[in-house]
Amino acid sequence: MQLIPAISRGRGLGLAGVVGVTALLEVVVRTGLLPQAWFPPPSRILPAFGEIVAAGELFGPLGQTLQGWVLGILAAAAVGVPLGVLIGSWPLTHRLTRFTLEFLRPIPPVALIPAAVLIFGSDLEMKVFLIAFGAFWPVLLQTVYGVHDVDPTARDAARCYGLGPRAVLVRITLPSALPHLATGLRIASAIGLILAVTSEIVVGAPGLGVRITDAQSAGGAEDVMYAWILAAGLLGWALNGALHAAERRVLHWHPSYRGGVR
Amino acid sequence: MLDVRELTKSYDGVPAVADLTFTVAEHEFVCIVGSSGCGKTTMLRCLSGLVAPTSGEVTLDGTPIDGPPPDMAYVFQDYSRSLLPWMTVAGNVAFPLPYKGLSKADAAAATAEALDAVGLGDRGDAYPWQLSGGMQQRVAIARALAYQPRILLMDEPFASVDAQTRADLEDLLLDIWRRYRITILFVTHDIDEAVYLSQRVLVLHRPAHVHEVVEIDLPADRDQLTTKRLPEFGELRTRVLSSLRAPDPAGVTP
Amino acid sequence: MIRARLADAALALALPVLLLAAYDGWARTAGNFFFPPLSEIGATFAAEWLFTRVPTDLLPSVGRMLAGYALAVAIGVALGTLLGLSRTLSRALDPVLQFLRALPPPALIPVSLLVFGAGDGAKVFLIVLGAVWPVLLNTVDGVRGVDATALDMARSYRVPAHARLTRLILPAALPRILAGARTALAIAIILMVVSELVGADNGVGYTVQLAQRGFDIPEMWAGTVLLGLLGFGCNAIFVAVERRVLHWHLAVTGRATHARRP
Repeated sequence: MQLIPAISRGRGLGLAGVVGVTALLEVVVRTGLLPQAWFPPPSRILPAFGEIVAAGELFGPLGQTLQGWVLGILAAAAVGVPLGVLIGSWPLTHRLTRFTLEFLRPIPPVALIPAAVLIFGSDLEMKVFLIAFGAFWPVLLQTVYGVHDVDPTARDAARCYGLGPRAVLVRITLPSALPHLATGLRIASAIGLILAVTSEIVVGAPGLGVRITDAQSAGGAEDVMYAWILAAGLLGWALNGALHAAERRVLHWHPSYRGGVR
Repeated sequence: MLDVRELTKSYDGVPAVADLTFTVAEHEFVCIVGSSGCGKTTMLRCLSGLVAPTSGEVTLDGTPIDGPPPDMAYVFQDYSRSLLPWMTVAGNVAFPLPYKGLSKADAAAATAEALDAVGLGDRGDAYPWQLSGGMQQRVAIARALAYQPRILLMDEPFASVDAQTRADLEDLLLDIWRRYRITILFVTHDIDEAVYLSQRVLVLHRPAHVHEVVEIDLPADRDQLTTKRLPEFGELRTRVLSSLRAPDPAGVTP
Repeated sequence: MIRARLADAALALALPVLLLAAYDGWARTAGNFFFPPLSEIGATFAAEWLFTRVPTDLLPSVGRMLAGYALAVAIGVALGTLLGLSRTLSRALDPVLQFLRALPPPALIPVSLLVFGAGDGAKVFLIVLGAVWPVLLNTVDGVRGVDATALDMARSYRVPAHARLTRLILPAALPRILAGARTALAIAIILMVVSELVGADNGVGYTVQLAQRGFDIPEMWAGTVLLGLLGFGCNAIFVAVERRVLHWHLAVTGRATHARRP
């Protein structure tokens, strides 16, 4: 029968995949194909994760990582979006900055870690600066693309109907640029989390990353280390899902969402 | 040559093709008309061996078809999807030839000849997306010709080109049919096109089965102006149209 | 025509020149220890990186990065194709892959140290582990998105399975694959630097960190600039290759494909 909708069938399959991969890992580790010293069996990692959650240990570091991420992304958006609108609105500013932006964009933000540590120390400030720097470029560039690509017909039509420049910006330009901005935020979010964990692991800023290195250097606590890695992965996965859901909500009118496919 | 017997194809118990029986003789030009959604494309996919029928049998020269046969070429409706944009026109035409056992030189010769036959001899180095829609469908026809099939299946090949181009392509196809002495099974929903091109029109009703066969006894030499002005042409079109619209005699139970 | 081009170039170069001049002017008057004037950074850059440290630090960095990146692309395309060809398998493994992609790769630094110690292997391993997912997921998408009519066409012309894979499925998936590979390149460069900030004894990232610890500020900035140039250069090469390989795709769609999943 066709009663089971395709989506729940897909979910069932996905659940089977998760269970299957976990079981496979267990077997591979138990049979010694993968040394236990490198990767403890899931039957030890999952209880270790459960303990972290039950003891309430998880939430402090999770909050610290999340805090850096939120502040960094907000700072990037606060600067990147207005600047992007400014640059994208006029051909002259676009031409003036294009080369510079294309040059600055591919610079790996982690290259600034040593300098950032020197200037900001090794705590939250440094972390937020790094995340903001890394997240700034995708937000800025996607905003510029978005504003630059606004359908001129729509803008002209709005002017014909007597909309002022401010109304054109709020009612036409920003909504049209929104899909690009969403892409920028999605990229920024992934980079932001990478930079948060990097600054924790490399520099020792408080957060999930520090717990991973602590567990590793403790020796014999590999299951705890993987439990914290699992937490970092789940955080990334949840942030992705949340952004995706928000995007779907805000952009329900956009062709890529209208069909309801994916 | 092509023998279709009691062909049935169902999806989830719903028949798209039901008890379809007909034959096509060597060097015949047969058109199949049917309203949209009557299962024409499913039928062609069964005939070409792309999907297995639920029941019934298709034989080509007595050999049952259980996969795409070597003597058959298929021209798809949507040229923009059946031509590969990363290959040149010549590359597209030559694409299947190495797997047919043709040497490089033979494949190149066959490609050049086929492109000449469709009037695109000088566009081999172009990319399909640089050509107009009508020219792209000519490339798809050239690919079929270079494959040197004995039977050509065509699925509404001219449905997405403009009227003038369509008339040109129809005459090109008649010319190729005569010159290469191939057999053509041509699916269309355009009645004029079916009557103009073929020697026989099969009218399909839904789910795809033959409702009526209309013999087209027009003179062999066809011309867009004179043939279509013949009173017989008008009569034949009316017959096909009324057959297409006729209710099924024995109650419609899909 | 030529005049318009010259004007464009002048306009494009005006901003960077202006920015650099402004920085230099400020640095000279401010005398801030952390921000030396350009001339000082430039002199250090020339002394260190032209070309004394090229064989000892730059080449090892680039070598590890390229090795990891090449492995990630090869593994990602191979596994992605395999998964993409099976609808059931790709749907079953999707949640697992989504999790692995969302996991911030620096979280795996302790794992790479655990498995490979501090050598080149650990760094290459980390780069592979981080860069493989965007390639893999985009390959799955690309392979699954191959047009059904094109596949029918190839089958009806009796093109054998291996040729359908190499001449139809992979070329058709290439725009997606390269979109994933572009994301992977950015991640590979980030991880190259990060892996050198932890447990390394050579490499550009290592040099920068060493300079920072020794408060050799001009050297730190010189290395940071080199990392920026490296990121820019790799990206420029990638874009040039992509333009060449995908000329047909750019002509048809008018733009490059973006990774659907960054």
